[in-house]
Formats: sequence, structure tokens, C-alpha cells
Amino acid sequence: MSNFLIEPFERAWHHRELIRAVVRRELKSRFRDSFLGWIWAIFAPLAMLLAYTAIFTIATPAIASGVPIYDYAAASFCGLILFNVFAELAARSPTLLHEHVHFIKKSIFPSETIAWTSTIRAIVYGGISFGTLLAVRLYTVHYISWTVLLVPLIILPFMLLMLGTVWFLMALGAFTRDVAHLMVSIVPLLMFATPVFFQIEQLPAGLQPWIKLNLVGDYIAMLRDLVIYARFPSPWMYLGCVVASYAVFLFGYAFFKEYKSVIVDVL
Amino acid sequence: MSSDFAISCRNAGKAFQLYLHRNDQLMQALFGWAKTYYKKHWVLRDVTFDIKKGECVGIIGRNGAGKTTLLQILCGITKPTTGSVAIDGRIAPILALGSGFDGALTGRENAIIGGAILGLKRKEIVAKLDQIADFAEIGMFFDQPMKLYSSGMVARLAFAICAHVDADILIVDEALSVGDEAFAQKCENFIAEFSKRGTILVVSHGLDYLRTLCDRVIWIDAGVVREVGDPDEIIPRYKAAVRKDDEDEANAVIGGGEAA
Repeated sequence: MSNFLIEPFERAWHHRELIRAVVRRELKSRFRDSFLGWIWAIFAPLAMLLAYTAIFTIATPAIASGVPIYDYAAASFCGLILFNVFAELAARSPTLLHEHVHFIKKSIFPSETIAWTSTIRAIVYGGISFGTLLAVRLYTVHYISWTVLLVPLIILPFMLLMLGTVWFLMALGAFTRDVAHLMVSIVPLLMFATPVFFQIEQLPAGLQPWIKLNLVGDYIAMLRDLVIYARFPSPWMYLGCVVASYAVFLFGYAFFKEYKSVIVDVL
Repeated sequence: MSSDFAISCRNAGKAFQLYLHRNDQLMQALFGWAKTYYKKHWVLRDVTFDIKKGECVGIIGRNGAGKTTLLQILCGITKPTTGSVAIDGRIAPILALGSGFDGALTGRENAIIGGAILGLKRKEIVAKLDQIADFAEIGMFFDQPMKLYSSGMVARLAFAICAHVDADILIVDEALSVGDEAFAQKCENFIAEFSKRGTILVVSHGLDYLRTLCDRVIWIDAGVVREVGDPDEIIPRYKAAVRKDDEDEANAVIGGGEAA
């Protein structure tokens, strides 16, 4: 019991070759049958970012008042990057075990690695979007703060949060398909509870603490601090996010492990 | 930890959870600590046996006797409800050939992933890719997406992968019924060759084949071990029992028909 804090990492390390092989496969096969291949991975976020910048420049909505347009577009895009990682994983996790049912029932496949492979894949696509954002920032404001180098310190605990979420939803989704329907319906709604197109500070003071409970939103705020505003996030906020994410990570893993042996029989 | 036994099965039992309503599964997952939402259905009870290293053991039994469940327990795919299983060595399960392949990927890529599932390092499996391709005899298709494969080719590749992972224990579940005559022969030869150095557990309805291959057979009947021992003694008894069951069943049908 003493090593339950690191057990998930030990298991992942033990299966690192498998995780690596599956991640390679998924990344390779995504654009395999297309002529332009990986260009699509860059095209989609680029088009989205340009559209945001254009819309906010033309429409200049009230919510962007007082903020430079390029910063506003980039801040929204920062929010979208992290939220999309969460949205994709949350919507897909409940069906992950159903998709891999042949692996799980017919071979000695360590099903907990599915969370790693899907999270890593989502983070890689998020990384491509992030690279696009940096390139566009260079073009529009000719400047990137060195604090961008600290972004991995945000992404690592964010990954833990995602892994825990995926394990939990994966296990729950194996028991009933309702979880999948539920997630598909509420994930778009969660976007409004996440500061993607607004900043936490723009909300009424009474609402702010509640929105701060949304960890994804906190990560978005911290990412914006580093990338756009060239400042350090509050250390307390960072520490709180790391501890909470690690707790979600451990809980998700424990939950999945608890039901792993039953899941094989109910799938 | 090293022992003389490759597989050691102690009082293993497996009960599946039968749910009246599909949503009861979720209720069980959430509130199982307070109330039981399922009925237990025992498919294996009190199974105890040891298999020595290097031994070749067959498992016989009628459909639904619990053979596949037993293999799943031994492979670690599902946990026994009661009892315990100890395995010493690396297992290569040939359960359902090729069910874990991804059609969009080439045979080569699937072989790498298949090897990783069985616990091989990337370097190890890459070094063996040529041997695997040779064994599978699928020629240039090895570098084509597997959705273009025939079912026989899929089975060939799957068997080739399992054959090249340097397993200590080979677990075969009626895999040999796929593929053509020549390839089935090749697989049988491989298994015979493997039995000289490794441990084999094979489930088959090919009783004559088991008789020539196996040192011992385990006869499983309705979830319990009925007999363990020399194939030459047990297989004839098994055949007789099956024949008797069939006759009883036929009589019952005729009897039922007359009563109606």
C-alpha cells in the first residue's frame, strides 16, 4: 500500500514499449490515407486562430474591450487548446473500453495503458495547436516571452488531471452507455463554465470562486499568464492545481483498478 | 522465484455476474458495497491442477464446460472469483487469432504492437520481423494494410507473431482450425517442436491430435475437473461419456416427442 502514490507510474513504465508503439500507431494512422497528411494537423488550428483574430478585429465585441485584439484572440485560443484536449478526452473516454473490447477480452492487453495512449495523443495534437499559436504570435506581435519555456510545468500536472479523468470515465462508461451520452451532451456546456472566451476576472465577484473550482479553467489562466502576459502564475494557485490534479490522477487510477477485473466480464 | 511448475492452479473458481437489467451493472458499480444487484453463475468451480515445466497438457470438455474461461484466467485476462493461479514464465496466448489487429495498419506495424502486448521490447520484435514474415508466408502483403488480408492471412500472421515471442508457455485455443491444410500442418509442427523446450496448454476438439501431442489431459465437465491423467486412458472414457450424453439427449427428445 505504501507505494500507491507511484504505482500508476510504475505500471506505465513497465508497459512503456506498448504505450509507445500504440501512440506511434495512432499518430501515424490518423492522417495516413490523406494526401496532405500532417499539414491537416496544422491547418485546422491555424484556420481557427485566424478566424478568431479576424472576427474579433472586425466585430470588436464588448468582452474584448481594453484588451489588444491580438492578445484577446490568443488568450481565447489558449483556452481552446486546453479545453479541446479535455473535451476530446471526456467525450471519448466512456467508449474507449468498448472500442478495445477485442484487445481486452482476447489477449493479455493491459487496459490501463489506454488512458495513457489517448491522453498522450490528445496532448500531442494540443501541442501542434500550441506551436501554431506561437508562430502566429511571432508574426502578429513579434515577441514571445521566455516564460513560454515554463509551459511544460503546466502541462505535466494537466496531463495527470486528464489521465485521472480518463480512467474514471473509462471504467464508468464500461458499465453503461449512458455515461457516453451524458458526456457528449454536457461537455459543450462545460465550455461556458470554463474561462475560454472570457477571463475569470471579468465575472461577478460572487461567481469567481466557483469557476475557480474548475481545474481546466485554472490551467487555462496559468497558460495565458506564461504565454501572453509574460508573468508567473500565483504559486498558490499552481500548487493547488498540482495537488488537486494528482489527487484526481490517483483517484481515477484506483477507481479503474478496482473495477478492472469486473469490466472484462461486463463488456 | 523459480519452481518446477509453470502453471499452478489452486481451487480456482469463476462466477459470472448475471444481471436482470442492463442498468444494474452501473448500480452494482456505484452501490455494490451496499447491495448486490446480480446473480452468480458459476462456470468453473474448485479447479486444481499443476503443470510442470516442459509438459504438454490438453484440455478437453464439451462446449460450455468452461475451457475458454479457464484459459482466460490462466492468461490473466479475467480474475478468478475464488482460489488462485500462479504462472512462472512468459505466456503467449493464441486465443482468438488476429482479433487485436488494426486493419488500417500494415502487418509489420501490427506485429510490432502485437509483440509489445506480449511484453517484447521494440528492438527485440524489430529484430524478429523478417522471421515472422517468413513464417507467415504472406509475401509482400506484410507491408500492406491488414484490411486487404484474407482471414487466412490474418491467422497466419497472428500465429507467426505468437510463435516468435520466445514464450515459456504457449496457450492455444483451437487456433488451428483456421488457415489451410498446409499452414495448419506448419502450426502443428511448430507446436510439436515447441513442446520439446516449453510448456504447452492446448484446448482442442481434435481428440486424436491431443492424444499424439499431449503428456496429460485435463477433462473439464460442467465447470469442474472430472479427470486428469494419461490421454490414452482418459480420451476413450471422454468419448464414451460424450456418446452416452448424446444418446440420452436423443432419447429425451424422442421421449418428449411421444409425450406431445
